[in-house]
Amino acid sequence: MAAVTGQPGRLTGAVTRWLTEPVPLGRLAAFRTLVYLFVIADLVVFTPWVRAHADVPGELYRPLLIGRLLPLPTPAPALVWGVFAGLLVSAAVAATGRLPRLAGTVVALLYLEWMIIAFSYGKVDHDRFGLLVALAVLATVGRARHGDATRSEAAGWALRATQLAVVATYFLAAFAKLRWGGLEWLTGATLTWAIVRRGTFLAEPLLEVPAVLIAAQIGIVAFELLSPLVFVLRPRWRYAAVGFFYSFHLVSFATITISFLPHLVAMTSFLPLERVRPMIWARRLASARRGERAGGRAAGHPVPVAGDPAVGGPGEAPHHAPPQ
Amino acid sequence: MASTETPVTSLSTRGRLIRLLVTVVGAGLLLAGTFWGEDDHFPFGPFKMYASAVDPDAPTVDTRLEATDAAGATVPLTERNTGIRRAEIEGQIDRFRAEPELLRVAADAYASRNPDAPALTEVRIVIRWHEVRDFTPTGDWEEEVVATWRP
Repeated sequence: MAAVTGQPGRLTGAVTRWLTEPVPLGRLAAFRTLVYLFVIADLVVFTPWVRAHADVPGELYRPLLIGRLLPLPTPAPALVWGVFAGLLVSAAVAATGRLPRLAGTVVALLYLEWMIIAFSYGKVDHDRFGLLVALAVLATVGRARHGDATRSEAAGWALRATQLAVVATYFLAAFAKLRWGGLEWLTGATLTWAIVRRGTFLAEPLLEVPAVLIAAQIGIVAFELLSPLVFVLRPRWRYAAVGFFYSFHLVSFATITISFLPHLVAMTSFLPLERVRPMIWARRLASARRGERAGGRAAGHPVPVAGDPAVGGPGEAPHHAPPQ
Repeated sequence: MASTETPVTSLSTRGRLIRLLVTVVGAGLLLAGTFWGEDDHFPFGPFKMYASAVDPDAPTVDTRLEATDAAGATVPLTERNTGIRRAEIEGQIDRFRAEPELLRVAADAYASRNPDAPALTEVRIVIRWHEVRDFTPTGDWEEEVVATWRP
């Protein structure tokens, strides 16, 4: 493993080992499917305003630096709808785990262009750096079967890079607040302003108690600055920390309708997703149902059914599943 | 937890070094973006959502785009009926202030998304300044018309 020797070499080695700490391929496969299905949902359901830019005259297009450098064309209906269709198809292929590198690269590039179309009209959102990193790194991992317990360093790096991007979104947001707001941010009226602009009925009573809002602002910065600790916690506490991150966004959504959904999807890179097996659960449920139906009066007792792979109870593991 | 006996597929030394390098370069760009960058440097720009300090005694800004149609009705122009987000109007508000005729773009976007709707006779950007005293909105507000355009 140690290709490099000496003191700096040892540090590099330790950092690299941490960056590429192997994870089960089944986890990567589950993350991959989730991320690409989210891309489809994002296009169709969650961020419909991106495709609405097809109808916005080009005079309002103010290309971001990356769009000027490349240089990307001014969005017109054909471009917007072309990228939209290309993303739907490539994300659907990638979600199945087929052609992981090719489909993954196509999705990553098209989604980046999709975001340039989204953010080149005067407003850049900050809710999806983790997702963009996830899309970029997922394409570097080859085949990964659902349920495969084989641990892989390539998969480990993909998930680690995504986790780093997710935590950077919190940690560096604290420095952006210092840079723009300064220390006054802590005792300013940013949350008051957010509630006036887009608060829900749950948030409005809070306008009466500014002390709570100031405490919340201090809490937000403290949590952002401490967020990197998630990497040194033991698994049980790490999951608790990730649970706290999710609850923070739940409260933000309930009070000021900011969801950060793409970020939340990227954050599942912290979770043991290989344990979530919807297809297997559905199959078990189906075979249990079949068993009940075939059992008739003797409901609950599994009975051989033509076409079933084998007689088994609901707890039966599929015959092709690797040992858990 | 994966047991130690599960097989591991390793990266080559080269593969590992490339990943280390990509991680370090990516982190460096993001750090540079955070301290010196702007939104223009997407995707490596600063995470400056709600990063400005807001004066607890200054009015809060609430911007809207609206129009009057041929029937004399006031039509709110939204993300839904124009494809233009409120924050995009705010992001380019200096442009609209300098050249109000640019609002024609909003009318065109509205017409292309709502071909059967009555034509717009005026488009304007209005800011409602909510008065805030000691963190609390008083309920009073003043409106400022930032830009107006008539065909």
